Formats: sequence, C-alpha cells, structure tokens
Amino acid sequence: MITLKNINKYYQQGNHRFHVLHDINIEIDQGELVAIIGESGSGKSTLINIIGFLDDDFEGTYFYQDQPIHDYTRKQFSTLRNRNVGFVFQNFKLLRESTVADNVALPLLYAGKRRKEISSRVSEVLKQVGLAGYENQLPKNMSGGQQQRVSIARAISTHPKFLIADEPTGALDTETSQEIMNLFKHLNKQEGTTIIMVTHDPHVAEQCERVIKIIDGRVVSDSKDGELHATD
Amino acid sequence: MQLIELFKSAIQSLKANKKRSFLTIIGIMIGIAAVIAILGIGDGITKTMYDKFGNNAKQGQQTTEIAYDPDNINSAVYGFTQEQVDDINTQFGGEVKKVEIEQETDNLSTQADVGDTTTKVSLSLLKKPTHAIKLIAGKNFTKQDLATGQANALMSESMAKKQYGTAQNALGTTVTVNNVTYKVTGVYKTQAQFTADGDQNSYGVNLLLPKALYYQENSVKEGDTLKLTFSQGANASAISRKVAKYLKKNSPAATQGTYQYLDMEKALKQFSSQMSIITTFISFIAAISLFIAGIGVMNMMYISVSERTQEIGIRLAVGATPFNIMMQFLVEAVILTLTGGLLGFLGGAGLAHLLAPLLSNAIGGGSGIHIHAHVSLNAFLLAFGTSAAVGLIFGILPARQAANKNLIDILR
Repeated sequence: MITLKNINKYYQQGNHRFHVLHDINIEIDQGELVAIIGESGSGKSTLINIIGFLDDDFEGTYFYQDQPIHDYTRKQFSTLRNRNVGFVFQNFKLLRESTVADNVALPLLYAGKRRKEISSRVSEVLKQVGLAGYENQLPKNMSGGQQQRVSIARAISTHPKFLIADEPTGALDTETSQEIMNLFKHLNKQEGTTIIMVTHDPHVAEQCERVIKIIDGRVVSDSKDGELHATD
Repeated sequence: MQLIELFKSAIQSLKANKKRSFLTIIGIMIGIAAVIAILGIGDGITKTMYDKFGNNAKQGQQTTEIAYDPDNINSAVYGFTQEQVDDINTQFGGEVKKVEIEQETDNLSTQADVGDTTTKVSLSLLKKPTHAIKLIAGKNFTKQDLATGQANALMSESMAKKQYGTAQNALGTTVTVNNVTYKVTGVYKTQAQFTADGDQNSYGVNLLLPKALYYQENSVKEGDTLKLTFSQGANASAISRKVAKYLKKNSPAATQGTYQYLDMEKALKQFSSQMSIITTFISFIAAISLFIAGIGVMNMMYISVSERTQEIGIRLAVGATPFNIMMQFLVEAVILTLTGGLLGFLGGAGLAHLLAPLLSNAIGGGSGIHIHAHVSLNAFLLAFGTSAAVGLIFGILPARQAANKNLIDILR
C-alpha cells in the first residue's frame, strides 16, 4: 500500500541545512500494525508526517496505492489526507471549545457529508471507542484517556485506509496507555485498519507486529525482515 | 464543506470571543451609521425642497406659477382674468398644456352683503377646520360642514360688533358673497392683519368661508396667481419666463403691478448641488472612519489567526483545503462587518429621523417646512455593499495568512 523509496528530508535552520532522513526505504502493506521507534530527534516524527501526507516537502519517491504522492499539489494533499488517513496525536489536538460530536464530525464536514449522515456516523464511532453518549461533552472537561479516545474516534470517522499515531500514549499513564493500545489492536484485528504509530515506549512497541527502528534518520532495523540489520 | 456549516462554525468562533467581536462590530457600525444618517438627512432636505417648491414633476406633468403683485395692496385690479387666460392659450397653446387662475384661498377682498349693507370685506377660504382662531360665540366649522359645502360662515368679532353691536347678535345673520348666501354660525376673535414675520395673516380677515362652496362654479374668473401646467419633458422654467415677459408687455394690469415668475427649479438645482457637495464631503469623512474600522477588522482577524493556529492545524490535518481555511476566516470577517453594517443602517436611519425634525426647527418651524429624513433602498444597498466590501477587503489578507500556514510547523 505504502512504498517509500530513497526518501531524504532536510530542514533549513538559518544557514544550516540539517539532513533529517537518509535514504529511507519502507514498504507497508494493508492491515499491518507498525511501530516506529527511536530516540527523540531521530526523525521518526518527520517520517510519519511524510507517510501521513502532512509533509509534502521531501526528496525521493512515495507511491501510495501506486499514486505518485511526491508529485501532488498542496490541495491534492488535503483531499488525500481527508479520504485516506486518520491522525492521532500525542496531545490529542482537539478543538477544546467545541463539543465531542463537533470534533469527531470535523473530517466528515470537510468530506462534504450531510448533517444527518454525520450525526449517525459520529454516534457510531463514539460507541466504537467506548464513549457512547459523550456527544455534547467538551473535551476540556474530559480525562486524557477519554480525550485520546475522542481523537481516535475522529481519526476513524471517515473510514480511513490507515491511521497515523504520533506518540498516542505519550501523555497517558500506563493503565490508560494499555487501554488505548487495546483499542488500536482491536481496530487493527477486527476492522483491518492499517495502523502506523511512533512511540518510544517499549511496552507499546512490543505489542506491534512490526517494529521499525530509526537512529539519526536512518532505518537501522525492521522486524518484518526477521532480523536486525543496518542499512548503511 | 457545505456553506451552512461554514456559517455555523464562523458564528461559533465569533461567539467564543464576544467582547472582541462586539467592539469590532461597533467600529463598522459607527462608520455606516454616520454615512446613512448624513445621506438620509441630505436626501430628505433635497426631496422636501423639491416637493415644496419644485415643478412637481410627478404624474407625468409639471406645474409652475406666475404671481401678480399689485402696486397698491388694496386695489381691486386682478392680474389675471379670463381674457389673459385666453390670450396665453392662443399665444403659447402649443407649449403650455393648461392655463388656469389659481383658486386663491387666503386674504381675498371682495364685495359682500352683510345684513342689509353692502360693504368691502376681506375673506379667507377653508378646506378643513382650523384651530388657529378662537371662537367667542357660536361654533367652529366641522369637517363635515366644509366637506358637504354647508353655507355657513364665520365672522370676525370686529365686524360683528360694527354691524350688530355684539358678537352674540351676529349669530344667525346672513352674508352674501358672489350671490351665495351664508349663515353666520360663529364669531371669532379678531386677529392682526399681518403676522409677526410681516406676512399676510390668513386669519386676519372679516370672514371665513368654506372653500368648496365658494368655488362651486369651478372656473375662477379672476385672481392674482396663474397656474401653468406642462407636459413632462417640456422646459417649464423657460416657457414660464416667456409667459411672464409676455404678460408684462401685453396685460392691461401690468401698469398697476408686476408679474413675476419665481424660478424655483433653478434655485433648487443650485441648492441641491450645494447639498450634494456637502453630502459628498461628509461622506468622505465617514469613509475615512470606515477605513479605520476596516483596519480594526483586519487587526482583529490577524490576532484571531495567530491565536487559532492550533485550530487551523487540526482542520488542515483532518482534510480541510487551504481554500476551506481561507473561506472560514473570510466568512467570519464578512459576518462581522455585515452585522455592523446592518446595525449601522438601523442606527443611521433612526438618527436621521431623529435629527431631521430638529433641523426643521432650526430652519424655522413657522415657515411650515418639515424636513423628513429620506432613507432609501439605495442607502440600504450602500450600507450592505460597503460593509460586505470592507469585510472582504480587510479580511482577505488575514484569511490568506491562515490558509498558507505551514501544517508541519503548527503540528510540531
């Protein structure tokens, strides 16, 4: 489904040009549950942003379902994101002043869905993440675990092909982290949703089928290959 | 994204910051209200003047008046008789649609039989009952009296005393004017012949008679005012001036008085051009205030954009296009300015209606000129259009800044 070839990414900072990602080659298939691990600053968030169509400024080729994403315009990226990806962030990224229902409805609105469809879909996904009846709550009055569930509900509301989760358990305690992980595993097993997450929590990583390790912008190991090997 | 959702979310965002939205709205409101009030009063004055003095270019025709001023105010010579009317009809028949002697209602002087004596009297004609006179005996005219043409008359106290000794005695007596006999039903307190302003006082006369009855035979034979009617498009002013000139030369009454055509239209045109200069000037100042209000909108939108960077990031991440984001902020700006514009229109219209009567008083309440503010549909469209335009113009830059934000920078 996802094919990254020779991806390089640079950040310009003043006169300095940082080489963040070095020749990344990754293939991810439908239905996989992938963890990308690495130290902070290793470039794993940068990588996941590229995979999730958030970052269109990179070198190399990216084929998503055989479409050349690297050639797309900014507007096409928006549509691509809306139709194909769900995002879960470490700090939830919910609209704090809007109700849970409005938050979950947001991607559906931009997809041009009708209000009626939207509200039934919202109830459906809230039930799926165990927050049935929370429609009119405000996120700011909810616990971290609940907020992360809302954000997962938002991510899956448009039936995305895959989920991108950047440190989804980073702001949660161990117990809540496990609940969220169970939810992800459930989505992956029952719904067949492809999930790609970035984490530095070993407990989270070991529950994933496939672990990709990144150090200093290079993939140093990929458990799918059954062995650890350095690319350089 | 559907338009209605765009509006909903814009209103929600504006509500989230009520005070700031309110202040911005006020800025626009004041600007628009000032423009509407000034335009309303200006149009009102111009319209009032035209209604009062213009050639009445309504119903597809125009009218002008030529007045005759006798040198001796008590002379019985009339400036216009049937002879003159016929004369003008033959001379100017092609150009003037209709010539008639105005049915004068105030301060006519004529012969009357009062009781047994025939005497010269002054009289005014009434179309509706007046409260400007004070009854000493009998009753005032009623609306019905005047409408049905009851042959009743009101007599002044001085005449009643002269003829019958007391006011009470005069009641029930008769006066005969132009072969019509009127019954005196009331006596009123005598008023001075001239008003404080030096004009003739229409109630400073011997008799008050119903107009309907007096002009029962509708063609007036003589008078001091001539009414000319023109079809629309004719140069009423020029022809009237020619008629006046002709009368001066050919009328027998020209030796004992002067014919005069007061070209109100010309004066009005000057007046309205002066009004429009003033209106334009003040509107220009109002436009500056709108400009400043617009900058206020821009300022607020910039603050809003930078405060809501996270929200923009979230929206972009879940699939909003940059265009969606731009529209969202633009709609917010336009809703703000439109609200201000509509409130300003209401405020300005109210202000104009409030100020116009005060202005009438300042001009001189006695002159009978009542200025009504005239707030037209055009003014409404102006308010609507201007406020929407201010929203668009001053909203576009902040909205574009919002749309062009770098998603990665926001989410990092």
